[in-house]
Order: sequence, then structure tokens, then C-alpha cells
Amino acid sequence: MPAPLPLLSLGPFALVCAAAVTVLLGIAWQRMHTVSALVTIVGLLGALVLQLALQTPDSAETPLLVFDGLSHFAALMVLGSSLVVALLSHTYLRGYTGPREEFYLLLLCAAAGALILVASQHLASLFFGLELLSMPLYGMLAYRFQSSHSLEAGLKYLILSAAGSAFLLFGMALLYAQTGALDFTGLASEMGPWALAGTGLMLVGLGFKLSIVPFHLWTPDVYQGGPVPATMLLASISKLAVFVVLLRLVLEVPTFRDEALSALLAGLAILTMIVGNLLALRQSDLKRLLGYSSIAHFGYLLVALVIGSRFAVETAGVYLITYLVATLTAFGVVTLLSSPCRTEEASNLEHYRGLFWRRPWLAAALTVAMLSLAGIPFTAGFIGKFYILALAVDAQRWWLVAAVIAGSAIGLYYYLRVMVALFLREAADASRAGRGGHWLNDTIVLVLALLVIVLGVWPAPAVDWLAGLNY
Amino acid sequence: MSGIPMEHGLMVASALFAIGLAGLMVRRNLMFVLMSLEIMLNAAGLAFIVASTAWAEPHGQVMYLMVITLAAAEASVGLALVLQIYRHFRSLDVDAVSQLRG
Amino acid sequence: MEQTLTSTAAEQWAIGLFVLAVFGLCTFMIVASWLLGGRSRGREKALPFESGILGTGAPRQKFSVKFYLVAMLFVIFDIEAVYLFAWAVSLPESGWIGFWAATLFILILLAGLLYDSRTGALDWAPQPRSPVDSTRT
Repeated sequence: MPAPLPLLSLGPFALVCAAAVTVLLGIAWQRMHTVSALVTIVGLLGALVLQLALQTPDSAETPLLVFDGLSHFAALMVLGSSLVVALLSHTYLRGYTGPREEFYLLLLCAAAGALILVASQHLASLFFGLELLSMPLYGMLAYRFQSSHSLEAGLKYLILSAAGSAFLLFGMALLYAQTGALDFTGLASEMGPWALAGTGLMLVGLGFKLSIVPFHLWTPDVYQGGPVPATMLLASISKLAVFVVLLRLVLEVPTFRDEALSALLAGLAILTMIVGNLLALRQSDLKRLLGYSSIAHFGYLLVALVIGSRFAVETAGVYLITYLVATLTAFGVVTLLSSPCRTEEASNLEHYRGLFWRRPWLAAALTVAMLSLAGIPFTAGFIGKFYILALAVDAQRWWLVAAVIAGSAIGLYYYLRVMVALFLREAADASRAGRGGHWLNDTIVLVLALLVIVLGVWPAPAVDWLAGLNY
Repeated sequence: MSGIPMEHGLMVASALFAIGLAGLMVRRNLMFVLMSLEIMLNAAGLAFIVASTAWAEPHGQVMYLMVITLAAAEASVGLALVLQIYRHFRSLDVDAVSQLRG
Repeated sequence: MEQTLTSTAAEQWAIGLFVLAVFGLCTFMIVASWLLGGRSRGREKALPFESGILGTGAPRQKFSVKFYLVAMLFVIFDIEAVYLFAWAVSLPESGWIGFWAATLFILILLAGLLYDSRTGALDWAPQPRSPVDSTRT
């Protein structure tokens, strides 16, 4: 194990942590919203550039962390998403009357947690990363504590996430009791009743965080109640990081590939796809709808997990990119139309009626995001769904194939409903126009929307890059 | 290890975990919900200690330190939220707090 | 099976006897004092006994929010000390790297403490409430 390499690989993480401490000290010195945001953005950008410069190190390792292609990819996604959220939070928080700067502190801590989580190859770092990721999210979700909905979202997430953590920890303890090891390779050594029970409990714990169907009840309420940037972070980096670590567990620990568990996972995947999409049908709130839609999307992603081959990792990577870009675009539009001053955020679908005639560019971006989430050709979502289908067909899992197709068909309906609402002609209502934000914010959302289309029309570079990552 | 087999210790931990889980699902008062969560976390901690003793290894004890850190952080964030919720709703009943539907 | 059961009983009979004796003694003490003791009633008798001091105020007293805040901060910083204990017992093994890591840890904690004191979380005394103050807790 070469000594200097892991230190360099830890660079992005160290930069994010340093930015967090700087923001903390900055608040202690003087509250300045823009400066805090700037420090956050510079820190995340620096970390992103450093991560890019690292290329793919040849599996640098420490006992707790591993830096391979998968963690490199996931770290880039985490840093990119956090950067988008930080940029949009600045607009969102400008209208907020309470203390604003702590939001960036929490955001940086969550990003650091996600970076640890995606690189962990030891139960201790898994646990540490997961908690560092979840703990700030409680605070972020309850950030508008004057609003009862935000408080409720924070509390619900706290209770269910803590219950998930307890399941995860108990599962870890049972696995440890069976094998006497905490690192992923050591866990592979033995099978037994305790190990199987532990694996099941760990899956329940991670299922809570991923909102797989029997454990999804918190998702819509939390998505609806929390401030939009917090929800955005929850939908992007939290889900991504937990999924990546679950993928790593499935690939490296044989107990996670146990026949019965695998069949159970396949069942849960089908259930998640169908139930998530069905429940989304009747929603009249865009954030709630996106919550259910994210449940369904992680149902599709579970297919990659169930099959768990080399190609499955690539598929999961492609799908995660397309999901992230589309989700960030959709939530970005919601952020730009919302203001924390009002008790109601612009999340009810009513707010979006005739948006095209008021803010044409934002409406176009939201349309693209919806098309991509629905998996229409020439958007990124189609490529992702195509990969999932190809994987399932290749593995001859016909039930999974059928569920993916059925889920997508149901999904088409509610995504289209949102799109139709955007273009309805209606008497212009000035109060719903939303504030004209800085041009930079609109540009971010438009760039994201453009990325959705580029990925859909010309996916070759992204796919080649993913295939080239050594895992 | 003083003669008590590891399985017995794990059984006790499992029972504790089940008690916490039952409390979490049955109780309506937020304070008791938070306490039930603490019980579940402590059950996991106990299981770590039992396993660590059985294998004569320190790793489980280190995990226990992290578990109590989590429990402490969870408790203080939870308490802070509960305070704000009491201010808002004048009640700690879970059903009264739960308003979001759809 | 029969054999082991009787032999266990033979070994453990003393414990059984002890348990029985404990219950018997407790029952005896309660019943005997109930039978033999004198009885009296009065208004004073109905008051809760607080070692001769009369209780005042309602039991459902409101605490200041600061009380909880201090409790939360105590819990957090208290737990951080646990990590320093872990470092202390492995001091020779962890060497200089451990030392610098612990230093960094303490410095970050110090930054947190600085933040707490600057945002007013450590001002214990209740202060007159002004419009600015009521927004933060």
C-alpha cells in the first residue's frame, strides 16, 4: 500500500471538511450570507476539480476506505449535485428571515458524509458516513422551523431514519458476531444464521434510507414538507450514496447474494416500481409527486442490484447519472419558483398551470426533466431505462422486465399530466409569477436541462467514460 | 468470557431491540418515541459488545463508542425538534403533529 | 434427563431456599406491622412526606428553554470526550500521527465551541426578550 496516494485521494473530502469549518468560523465571526455561500461553492468546486484531476487511481486503499472507479464516479456525482444545490440555495435563502448561513454548513457536512459513504469498505466507515449524511439532513429539512410542515418533515425523517440506523446497526452487530470482522472482505468469510439475520436487518436499514416499498411511508411527507434545497439534496446525494454503498455490499459480501435474499430483493423491486408509480398517479403536489417518482426510480435501480454483475454496475452508473440530472433540473425549477417567506412553497400543481406563458424557459426545463423521468427517447432517461431493460433481458429476468415496462407505462400518465398543466392557457396571475431571480440561477437549470438532452441524444462519451472506470 | 455463551447475549440484545421497536410503533408521545429509538440503538450497542467479547477483539467496542455518539447526537437533535414542535402545536402527540396527507 | 434434573436441584436448593426466605421475610414484615402497629388519621398525614419540609408549587413546573439547550450542548461535548479516552489508552501505538489527529479533533471542537458562544447558545442567564432574540433559540 503506497502511503502518499490515499492521502491525495482523501483530498476532496478534506477540502469539503475544511470548507465546513471555515463556514462555521465565518458565522462565529460575522454573519454574511453571500460569503458563506461563496466559501461553500469554492470548496465544493475545488473538491470537484481535485476529484477530476485524480483520474481513476488504481484502487488506492486504506483499511476503511477504497478509492476505485465506483467511488470516483460516485464522488463526482455527489460533489456536482451538492454544487448545484449550494448555488440554488443562495437564491432560495435570500428571502428567508431567520439565520441562513447554517444551511451551507449542514450542506457541506452532508456532502462530506456522502463522500465517505461511497468510498467505504468497512462497516465502521459505512455507519459513520451514513450518519454524517443523515444528521445534517434532519436540520436542513426542519430548517424553516416557523413552518409546521417543515418541522413535521424534519421530525418524520429523524424518527424513521434513526429507526433505519438502528436496524442497520443491529444487523451489523449480528454480522460481526458471526464473522468477527467488520471489513467487507472479512465479512465474506462465513455464512450462518446470525449472518443471514444480520444481512436482512441491514437491508431493512438501507431500505429505509432508499425508501424501498414497505419502508417508503416517510418519503412523500418529507419531500413535501422540507424546504426545496433540502429535499433536492435528499433526492440526489443521499439516495445516490446509499445506493452505491448497497451496490458495493452486494458485490463484495456473499451473504448479500444469498438465493433467498436475492429473490426477496427482486420481489421488493417489482413492488417498489408498481406501488411507487401507482401512488404517484393521484398526487396534486409536485414535490410529493417527485417523491413517489423517486421511489419508483429506485425500484428500477434495484434491478441492477438484483442481477449484480459487472455490467450491472455500469447500468447502475448510467441510470444514476440520468436520474440525478433530471431530478436536479425538476427540483431546480421548483426552487426558483419558491420562496421561503410564504408558508406555502410553490409545490402545488396549481402553481404550474400556464407556467409556460409566464416563465417559458423554466417551463421548458421542467418539461425536459419530466420527459426524461418518464423515459422518452432523446432524453437522458431513455438511455437509463434502456440499459436497465437490456440488463434484465440479458439476465432473462422476465418478471423484472414486465414490471419495468408496466411501471414506465403508468409513469407516463402522471408525468404527462404535469407537462399538460404547464402549457394550459390561463389568465395571467402576477402573484404566482415567482420572483425574477438572478440570470445565473436560470442558467444553471437550463444547463442541466440541456445536459438531459445531450445525454439522451449523444450518450456515447458518458457511457464510454463509465465503462472505462475500473471496478 | 465468563461462561455465558454469545448466543444468550445476542438473544438479550434482540429482546431489547424488539421492545424498542414495539415502543416505537405503539407510543404516540414523541418523548417516548425518542426513548424507544434510544433503546433500539442501545440494543445494537449491547450486541456489539457481546460479539466483541466473544471474539476477544476491540473493534466491537470501538463501534459501541460510535453508537453512543450517534445516540447522543440523535437525542439532542430530536430534543431540539421536539421543543420547536411543542411551541408550534402545543402538543407532543404524533397524530396531532402529522398533518401532511396526500 | 431425570438424573440431571435432580442433580441440578440438589446443587441449587440453597438458592431456592434463599428466594423463599426473602419473600417470606418481606411478607412477614408487612403483615406483622399492619397487625401490630397503631393507626391514626389527620390532615397532615395526607400530605406527601418530604423529610419534614412542606412541598410548594405545582409539580408541572415549566423549565426555561435554555435549560434544555445547555443539556444538549453538554451531551454533545461530553460524548466527544469519549474519543479522547480512546486515544489516551492507545497513545503509544498511535504515535505522532495520533497526536496530530487528536489535535485536529480538539481544534474542530474548539471551533464549534467558539460558534456556540458567539451565537449566544452559552448565555445561560435569561435575558429580556427583544424582537431580534425571539427568532433564535
